[in-house]
Amino acid sequence: MRYKSQSVAYWYFAVAMVLFGLQLVFGLLSAAKYLGPDPLLYILPFDVTKMIHTNLLIVWVLTGFMGATYWLIPDESRTELHSVKLAYVQLVLWTLMGVATIFGYFFRYGTGNKLLEQPLPSKIVIVICMLIFLYNIGMTIKKAGRFTTTEGVLVLGLVSSAVLFFPALLEYGNYTVSIFYRWWTIHLWVEGVWMMILGGFLAYLLIRLSGADREVMEKWLYVIVGLVFLAGIIGTAHHYYWVGVPYYWLPIGGFFSALEPLAIVGMAMYAYGAMRRSGLSHPNVLALHWTLGCAIFTLFGAGLLGLAHTWPSINKWTHGTLITAMHGHAAFYGAYAMIVLAMITYALPSLTHPRENDSNVIGYWSFWLQLAGMFGMTLSFATAGIGQVYLERIMGMGYLDAQLKIQIHFIMLIASATLFTAGVGLFIFDFFRRRPRFEVEESGS
Amino acid sequence: MTNRQGRLFAIGSTAVAAILFLVMTLDSHRQFPELTNAENITPEVTHGKDVWHKYNCINCHTLFGEGAYYAPDLTKIAKHRGDPYLHAYMRDPSKFYNEQKHRRLMPKQDLSEKEIKDLVTFLGWVSEVDNQGWPPRPILVTGGMTTPTTMGGEGEITDADAASVTPVDSGSDPRALGEQLFSTAVPTCKACHSLTPGADGAGPSLGGLVTRTKKLLESGDYQGEATDVESYLHESIVSPSAHVVPGDMYSAGSTSFMPASYADSLSEKEIDQLVAFLATLK
Ligand code: HEC
Ligand code: HEC
Ligand code: HEM
Ligand code: HEM
Ligand SMILES: [Fe+2]
Repeated sequence: MRYKSQSVAYWYFAVAMVLFGLQLVFGLLSAAKYLGPDPLLYILPFDVTKMIHTNLLIVWVLTGFMGATYWLIPDESRTELHSVKLAYVQLVLWTLMGVATIFGYFFRYGTGNKLLEQPLPSKIVIVICMLIFLYNIGMTIKKAGRFTTTEGVLVLGLVSSAVLFFPALLEYGNYTVSIFYRWWTIHLWVEGVWMMILGGFLAYLLIRLSGADREVMEKWLYVIVGLVFLAGIIGTAHHYYWVGVPYYWLPIGGFFSALEPLAIVGMAMYAYGAMRRSGLSHPNVLALHWTLGCAIFTLFGAGLLGLAHTWPSINKWTHGTLITAMHGHAAFYGAYAMIVLAMITYALPSLTHPRENDSNVIGYWSFWLQLAGMFGMTLSFATAGIGQVYLERIMGMGYLDAQLKIQIHFIMLIASATLFTAGVGLFIFDFFRRRPRFEVEESGS
Repeated sequence: MTNRQGRLFAIGSTAVAAILFLVMTLDSHRQFPELTNAENITPEVTHGKDVWHKYNCINCHTLFGEGAYYAPDLTKIAKHRGDPYLHAYMRDPSKFYNEQKHRRLMPKQDLSEKEIKDLVTFLGWVSEVDNQGWPPRPILVTGGMTTPTTMGGEGEITDADAASVTPVDSGSDPRALGEQLFSTAVPTCKACHSLTPGADGAGPSLGGLVTRTKKLLESGDYQGEATDVESYLHESIVSPSAHVVPGDMYSAGSTSFMPASYADSLSEKEIDQLVAFLATLK
């Protein structure tokens, strides 16, 4: 840690870790309900556990993004943060909002709009937190007068995320129109501006870990961003096919969304190339694992498994089945969970006191258990989804009967999710077993 | 390539894609009223939509294929079930499905009568939206083992597994046409009836229907006007409430949950074909 104010990242990461753990509890609960019968049917039904599961995901990933940004900006701009106090105020406000929102969900206090369930007061607090955050970052950069491409891409991604949140604040009388604009937030986040955030972090990690040439890295970063938006904006249409839009969205959307993996392939080549050219000499080999792992798992979960069902003539059959859940898990984990875990792993040695006989054994176990577990979960959702599509959608078997036939895949899901949870448990343990430290150290990172 | 060229590529491609996207968005707004029958979005439909949101239905179900995968898609449910059925179901799902059997159950949602009424109106509006013909085949809530047959038509699906089905395969035979109608009538009979004996869905299984009907006509319990099996089957289709099969999940206040719309939507000839088919279900 070169700048004292970078230590605020620790507390953001700590909150993210706790919420990550909770997210999995609710994921496991939801999966258990697939198997049924459900003893909690009237206390904690599926809709509640699932809503909490996905909302905790969004909250912890965003907390991770913010923490990682507070870590990265001083490094890139070579200055202390504009205001540490403001960063803490923001974290407290944000965490309170998150906890209160989740608490409300137990009583179904929400908008009932998928992934945007946060009630209006929470959404307003989210906007306030975003504004504090962007102000703090902006002032830091302004003060420093040094602005790298890497952080530029990152900050532009963050600003655009805030802007794209606005359609989510409005109400629409026509359900089809409301779906139309819901995707301006959700899709343009995960397949648009969050990709910039991902690209920014990735470039930062690659430059720091491999010592790759900044000039070259940043040039390619532009190309990747260009590809993301070229395909990703119109690619929104892969959510429009069957909701009541004009026909032309099908061929045009199919074409552009099929191009989306290009940027992701680019990103993987970018990571791999940087590593090959510059070697793996950095002492934090674990962070290298997470960084490369992120690029590769994104290629698998988002690129390959997204492509698998993005063409209209296939999506017609798979739309709204467990196939979607298969892709949702692998993509979200690969791209956004893993990049946050990579940033944490990279920053942690400087944010905490080393322990005696410190080794990374737990860290490696955590990495491989998570990867194996998530891969197993993806396969379980995939096999369940293929069964569902075939029995329910193609053969015409009733929904409930088809679900009974794929129970074995739900058992597989729970088994691999347990493995995954063990991996995450180790990560969280590894995080908290070291004491945080707040003094600057010259040699580190 | 220089850094500057990279940046130009990023800005340029983003701008082009965004402009194209916005143009298509504008054009979609021009077409939404027609595609979604916007003139039918009454205050009831809007209230029904709010009910849908208020009770978080989206986090178990999908609508237009979007939501959660714990419960069946409801895009076309209003086309498969009549209003009386949906009203009664929303009041108490446990009267309709057995959690032990399906290992899942929709918890009772405690909606007011007004909420139920508007919700069902909303689902009716949803089912009319022109959404490129999705789903390509009806998504049913329950229903038995189905396998494709060699019969004509677009990938027809029939209950070939049902032991009691007399095979019919000639395209011109009224019974074969009736079998086809059984899947293609709107709403499809298959959404509620299986042909596997004992596999009751939203309506009773029609396996063993003829034997059952003979017994019924002989016993004194029958209240309708039919005199023989054929006229009973005919009556069952055109006026379902004339005689109702007992069971809370089949009727309320002697109004059958089977849609009363077939008398209008099917021609007399088609009804005869259906009857001919049903009469094979010994
Ligand atoms: C906790 C999950 C859950 C929630 C919340 C939920 N449902 Fe369901 N729903 C189910 C399940 C499971 C089924 C399958 C049939 C059954 O088990 O009752 C179902 C079936 C249905 C059916 C089809 C019944 C039939 O036989 O055709 C309708 C209609 C329906 N739900 C409407 C709604 C509406 C409207 C809401 C919101 C007010 C809602 N559901 C909320 C789980 C849920
Ligand atoms: C929304 C669900 C639903 C649909 C769709 C439906 N039915 Fe029914 N049907 C029922 C219910 C519920 C009953 C039992 C109550 C009654 O007797 O009316 C029933 C009863 C019957 C009976 C009498 C069964 C007996 O044991 O006496 C026949 C015959 C029948 N339906 C034929 C059909 C045919 C043919 C179609 C398609 C053209 C059809 N149904 C569509 C729900 C449905
Ligand atoms: C990091 C990137 C990505 C993430 C995090 C992600 C995540 C998700 C999630 C969570 C959903 C479910 C949304 C919902 O139904 O509410 C979804 C749906 C979908 N995604 Fe992605 N995705 C990513 C990239 C991609 C890419 C690159 C493609 C195509 C090549 C793609 C194609 C699709 C399609 C077609 C659906 C709709 C599924 C359906 O019809 O039900 N995704 N994605
Ligand atoms: C213990 C591990 C986990 C289990 C058992 C689990 C299980 C589930 C279940 C049962 C659902 C509901 C699907 C439905 O709507 O029917 C779900 C949804 C979802 N989960 Fe998980 N999950 C786990 C971990 C994760 C992780 C680590 C992530 C991301 C990093 C994640 C992201 C999601 C997303 C994005 C959805 C919504 C998917 C969609 O609607 O298509 N989950 N999960
Ligand atoms: Fe998408």
